[in-house]
Amino acid sequence: MNEKHIQILSVFLTAFYAFFIVWLYWVEPKSLEEVPTKAQTTIENVTTKTQVAIGTYEVDRVKFDEGLQAFRQDNFIAARDNFEKADTEKRDAKTQFYIAYSFYRQGFGKLSNDDALFKKGLEQTNRVAALDRNFKSDDANLQLKTPVELKNEFEEGLQITAGDFNPFKVLRERK
Amino acid sequence: MSKVQSPKSKVEEAVSEDLSFVDGELLETSTGEEVITETRTKGEKQISFPKPEDRSSKSKNQKSFLQYIVIPLIFLTAALLGGLRLSAEDMEFLFLKPPLVCLIFAVILLVLFFRANLIKLNGWFSEGFSTLKNVANACVLLTLFFASTQIFNSLLPEKGLPFWTIAFCFFWTLWNNLFAEFDTKRLVQSLGGMFGLAFVVKYLILANLTAPASKSWLQGILENPAQEAFTFLLDLPRFAPATGYIQFFALVFYLIGLFLLKPETEN
Repeated sequence: MNEKHIQILSVFLTAFYAFFIVWLYWVEPKSLEEVPTKAQTTIENVTTKTQVAIGTYEVDRVKFDEGLQAFRQDNFIAARDNFEKADTEKRDAKTQFYIAYSFYRQGFGKLSNDDALFKKGLEQTNRVAALDRNFKSDDANLQLKTPVELKNEFEEGLQITAGDFNPFKVLRERK
Repeated sequence: MSKVQSPKSKVEEAVSEDLSFVDGELLETSTGEEVITETRTKGEKQISFPKPEDRSSKSKNQKSFLQYIVIPLIFLTAALLGGLRLSAEDMEFLFLKPPLVCLIFAVILLVLFFRANLIKLNGWFSEGFSTLKNVANACVLLTLFFASTQIFNSLLPEKGLPFWTIAFCFFWTLWNNLFAEFDTKRLVQSLGGMFGLAFVVKYLILANLTAPASKSWLQGILENPAQEAFTFLLDLPRFAPATGYIQFFALVFYLIGLFLLKPETEN
């Protein structure tokens, strides 16, 4: 091996080892067993970012369908988890709308709404509007089809008005 | 009386006769080994020596291997270990990123290396070198910079009053050295002393003042009142004892790397 080859090897080896160290300090694995898991997550993230950059990003259909199934069974926590896994980059308006809707349905109460969930839902709805202002859901099971309608529902739910003390409020239905 | 000679003495006599003069031609071999081989061909004695160019080429290769492969790996290993701590509770890895002051100290340290001729700038970068060699040299010096940063990260206490006190001591020493006249040996001695002292302060003195992790605050107060007081007052982080061992090896790797580093590269 002549000096030139050693120098080339040195540059690549140094770059690789330095990259590995920077990566370790970035992902901060808690133990040696956690290193492969972190590596897999990093590879997945890099792949997704590359897909976004070159315009081939797509939602994971399997995860989305699992999320939709959980959503229809009123298992909103599992639904959100699957939707988030399906759209890791938060770029699909439809998936993000379902996440926002899950906050509404989970937080809805006949007597009072869950303010914490409604606040999260409101933020999520704003995200949907930012992604696609003209988004309209094609799901027949959803009564609120657009982000504007959903946003209005969240804002009304968070406000305390005289109507909140109306006893007939208990008769209202979840949309 | 006839003299009786043993077979062994006969052989010795024959050999001494043979070696009284060298009758043969010197031949060059391409093996590059330093062993002198002796061959007999049709009664001629041929002694072959390794090629001088081969010997120098092999030696040069070894030096290049050391300089471009071993030294960067040593420095990067020191850099890897320098920010690694183990938590006291469950021995989890904690990767501490270096504070800004460590980068500043590392820059001052590199300037010191150049001033004291531990590294000669024109011996590492030159228009006469190939681009590849300049790039490879830059990589080696970058690893030295990373390792220096992480060694300061390793030796500086993490927070609180000890951090500022030791950081000030480092700064004072480095700043004074920057304007002092001294040679390479004195620089290395000074650095060795400074790093050694900082290691003792952090991983022996402060580590012994830190209270061990206990189940509850009250239990800690009752079992180790003095250590708990020092831990609270000096804001000392609790690390596993293995952290000291890891940092010891980080420092050793760094010093070995410095020892192996040549002031200039061979052209």
